Amino acid sequence: MKKSLMTLLFGLTFLCLISTSVSFCQEEEIDIEELKKQAPKVFIDCSMCDIDYTRTEITFVNYVRDRKEANIHILVTSLRTGAGGREYTIAFIGQNKFEGVNDTQKYFTEQTDTQDEIREGMVKAMKVGLMSYVAKTPIASRIDISYSEEVQPAEVKDKWNYWVFRISGSAYIRGEESYKYKSISGSLSASRVTEELKISLSSSVYHYRDDFTYEDEVIVSTQDSVYFSGLCVKSLNDHWSVGFFLSAESSTYENINFSIVPQPAIEYNLFPYSESTRRQLRFLYRIGLNSVRYREETIYDKMSENLWSESLSITFDVREKWGSISTTLSGSHYFHDFSKYHLTLFSILSLQLFKGFNFYVLGSGSRIHDQLSLKKGEASLEEVFLRRRELKTSYDYFFSIGLSFTFGSIFTNVVNPRFGSSGYGGMSVIID
Amino acid sequence: MKKVRQIIRVAVLLYSFCLFVPCVFAQTEQTDVDANKKDAPKVIIDCEIWDPVFIQEAIGFIACVEDLKDAHVWLIITSKETEAGIMDYTISFRGQNEFEGDNDELKYQAEKDKEEETVKTEILNIIKMGLMRYAGKMPVSSRISIGFMDKVKPTDVEDKWNFWVFSLSLSTFLNGDKVYKSGMYSGSFSAARVTPEWKIRMSLSGTNSKDRFTFEDEVFKSTYESYNFNGLIVKSISEHWSVGAFFSVSSATYSNVKLSINPAPAIEFNLFPYSDSTRRELRFLYRIGYNSVKYREETIYEKSYENLFQESLSVIFELKQKWGTWSMSLEGSNYFHDFSKNRLRLSGELSLRIVKGLNFDIYGNYRRIRDQLSLPRGGASLEDLLLQLRELETKYSYSVSIGLSYTFGSTRSKVVNPRFGTGGRSVSISF
Repeated sequence: MKKSLMTLLFGLTFLCLISTSVSFCQEEEIDIEELKKQAPKVFIDCSMCDIDYTRTEITFVNYVRDRKEANIHILVTSLRTGAGGREYTIAFIGQNKFEGVNDTQKYFTEQTDTQDEIREGMVKAMKVGLMSYVAKTPIASRIDISYSEEVQPAEVKDKWNYWVFRISGSAYIRGEESYKYKSISGSLSASRVTEELKISLSSSVYHYRDDFTYEDEVIVSTQDSVYFSGLCVKSLNDHWSVGFFLSAESSTYENINFSIVPQPAIEYNLFPYSESTRRQLRFLYRIGLNSVRYREETIYDKMSENLWSESLSITFDVREKWGSISTTLSGSHYFHDFSKYHLTLFSILSLQLFKGFNFYVLGSGSRIHDQLSLKKGEASLEEVFLRRRELKTSYDYFFSIGLSFTFGSIFTNVVNPRFGSSGYGGMSVIID
Repeated sequence: MKKVRQIIRVAVLLYSFCLFVPCVFAQTEQTDVDANKKDAPKVIIDCEIWDPVFIQEAIGFIACVEDLKDAHVWLIITSKETEAGIMDYTISFRGQNEFEGDNDELKYQAEKDKEEETVKTEILNIIKMGLMRYAGKMPVSSRISIGFMDKVKPTDVEDKWNFWVFSLSLSTFLNGDKVYKSGMYSGSFSAARVTPEWKIRMSLSGTNSKDRFTFEDEVFKSTYESYNFNGLIVKSISEHWSVGAFFSVSSATYSNVKLSINPAPAIEFNLFPYSDSTRRELRFLYRIGYNSVKYREETIYEKSYENLFQESLSVIFELKQKWGTWSMSLEGSNYFHDFSKNRLRLSGELSLRIVKGLNFDIYGNYRRIRDQLSLPRGGASLEDLLLQLRELETKYSYSVSIGLSYTFGSTRSKVVNPRFGTGGRSVSISF
């Protein structure tokens, strides 16, 4: 009780001190340099933001490169919306002298928004959220908030009933005298996302080709694939969902002429779905029938087969001020032969533990005992080097670890574009 | 915490003798409620000093209500005179209904004899700032703009390091299966000081990577190594001109260079002011330098080292606007000992929204190459070629990528549904 009173008294004294300086500043000639020195220190924790633009547009705060130095930690997370745009959740976390002053603002983009529109909207949402803090510092006297009465067009009624369609195509070529590469791809998708039901259908086609010239001989290597995937999910409550996956494919890499896999599925999320950008622990179970026709006879002497399989995947994600953790464990097996299974663990941990120190560790390992589609016969040298054919293995892995330590000046207010721009050093890890 | 809040509440009540002027009066006088106000925060104004109607009109983006049940915010403005003849104003914001628990309190002080108009304007400004946390969550926010009245120098801070930043990073990446294994190790150290007047940047970095393939019981091994030091210093002359110098030291297996030392003074002109750089720039960067190189293997020109003068000019254009982003760069360089040893590089990128829903992206790059002085005489092996471990003899290189997409339907839907995941995830790490 005594402590609370003390805190209160301190708080009031502190606020009075600040407001005293406000009034003094107005009495005399405004010393803007002095006001800027007392402006809130902000750490922007956002991998998709145009930071230079933010620094140029919002000049009434000071930017620091480490969260521990900041008065306000701005943590931006995002999720894809039904229309293919993004919902950005901008959490303002008060620290040090603003401990306990928190706010969350949201900003929505549409899929076809340009970079300029996105960064402008983001800056606007940040300014709004910063006001609560800026109002508590002397620089508040130099802020101007204006309102324009212009009438906005009313929201149009949605004649498409939440359906969104997208057609896209892309081509990439590259070459020099002894080497040429090209890739062509196309995709078509339709989706309808509401809180109750999510439907998403997409299909895509890929073609890759390499041409090497070596000692007057031309080596050609190609890869083709076609995929279709469909998903329908019904929301049961804040923790449970049921749904159905349907996938079909044809691929030269995997020696599959045609395969179709229908799978009913059920999912449980330990945390409410509404917290998904900050934390989730999802258990997704599927069971299905795989009908496959191969391009060439497999090492098991098969040209086609129909097999039942089941799979379970567990995904755990946490995104906090100190960093993020993301782990997925998934396992599957066939019912006709339990020794034909696949187990994969993927995990990443990214930490900003103490001042200036960033650390990440990332790894994935798989036990692979279900390569039913491997074709007979030896692979050629270019198939091996260019990874154009699935090769027999019982495992695969990747592992990466990195750390960076940054010290020195904490301020990153300056944007100096002369002779081109580049980062401030250090390291950033983006998990999407 | 709850107790503290209670105490604050009591304190605020004691602190003030608030006259409750209901907004009913405001409502009767202004019967024609602007349609825009429907999506504005509904506020109950509780104030002893001024008329709520005045406050509502001065702020613009709020609508007065009379009942707490209809309100988004309960705004309480109180004042008290201190012994020193200073007026203490307390402005508290209490979130109601969907904003329950979303509270804030702001303070303002003014000397008693301060001009009333000034005090009014300043307090209204504080009220507006405090209301932003609520207004920002409502459609009205699109019509509010927040500005800063002054131009400030970004270096107006107290910094004991005088803007120097140092950074050390280390990383490794390993990946493999039965047939293929690879390992990559890299490290870097950088020091930088960037102010509007000077830009100084130095970095030392190294990468070592090894690949191993097993093919028909034979093992193919390949190594790639590269070490670099890069230094840059730039002095700002005006909003359009800068001078500076580059200094680099490098060694790489890919380009057959054992050690190369390359100092190059440079000058740059930007047609647009540098302060517009996040929106548009057109920079002309000229460098002249000395290149001292020692090769790993004898080159096709039978050299194992050489010292050469070189010049280059780059033109860089970038535009970022509502309709999209467009950038182009053209770079030409030549050696002075033989002008036919030159190189020209053109690259461009355009990301455009043609009409609503139709987006077009193109990226292209073309190089005309006449200066491969470092090619080794021995040539490249088949695995060097397939894995692109060596620079190969060529007179040109290009790459083009084109993408077109059309999205239609209910493109304004803001629904987020994270169930069953979002389909795969990506991790990217940048240094």
